[in-house]
Amino acid sequence: MATSEGAGDHVQEATVEEPLDLVRLCLDEKIYVKMRHDRELTGTLFAYDQHLNMILGDVHETITVTEVDSETYEEMYKETKRTIPMLFVRGDGVILISPPTRA
Amino acid sequence: MAAPPRTNPSDFLKELAGRPVVVKLNSGVDYRGLLSCLDGYMNIALEQTEEYVNGQLKKKYGDAFIRGNNVLYISGSRTRK
Amino acid sequence: MLFYSFFKSLVGKEIVVELKNDMSLHGTLDSVDQYLNMKLLDIAVTDAEKFPHMLAVKNIFIRGSVIRYVHLPAEEVDVQQLQDASRRDAEQAKHSTKTGAAAAAAAGKGQPTKDTRPDQSDKVAAS
Repeated sequence: MATSEGAGDHVQEATVEEPLDLVRLCLDEKIYVKMRHDRELTGTLFAYDQHLNMILGDVHETITVTEVDSETYEEMYKETKRTIPMLFVRGDGVILISPPTRA
Repeated sequence: MAAPPRTNPSDFLKELAGRPVVVKLNSGVDYRGLLSCLDGYMNIALEQTEEYVNGQLKKKYGDAFIRGNNVLYISGSRTRK
Repeated sequence: MLFYSFFKSLVGKEIVVELKNDMSLHGTLDSVDQYLNMKLLDIAVTDAEKFPHMLAVKNIFIRGSVIRYVHLPAEEVDVQQLQDASRRDAEQAKHSTKTGAAAAAAAGKGQPTKDTRPDQSDKVAAS
């Protein structure tokens, strides 16, 4: 049980063996988070856990609301944006996390 | 490619690793990409991901982590763009 | 446990809790538990016109599951410590999943134990 604890810390590198490793590699990086109810966040990942609870810094949130014009039935998208310096995000609202687009 | 005679869902998922897949979410949104890995919660890591809303390509991601609770299904995709 | 510990370190600080019903509550964090239920003191609703029924409420207990965001005081957050804790947590979680359900149960990820819930409601009742 306790044999490889020290070794384990060093093994923890750039390997992605399970999906959460991908999130771990995003620590201290700017990430994009797609949330339920048409909310999107970008910010720097400072903390996360297995539920995808997260703490993000310098967060930009975009909320998209779809309104249907009552006469023309045209769909209108309205975007609301705001910035939050430091934000805890509850994991249950998370759909997708993506690291900064690499070349 | 003859299908193996008898498998269970987890064998099926293991075979998909590294292959192109379609992941459909409860919201109806599709993600197409290469399956890097997945875990017991059906959390999924995809590479070269494309997001399709109503069948239309909306966005691309280099890597993407999808939280398992949103997943409706994971399907092998023979068509590689 | 990571975020439970984190929020414990914020007890006594002012935070804004944004709920899934779009209500935002500004107040002082009084206590938090493992489910991230939170008790806030001396609250004000950010959009009071929209939620006039909350005007009389001073102290509130919020069930963790209805929280969407918590706006944090940036100066109280040690980001280096959080990142280290996240890496440690990830490593630990990996070991417990590999050793299977028994380890997960031992780590307290199973059903709420009999004594944690009543303990929490005691706290609320007492305040």
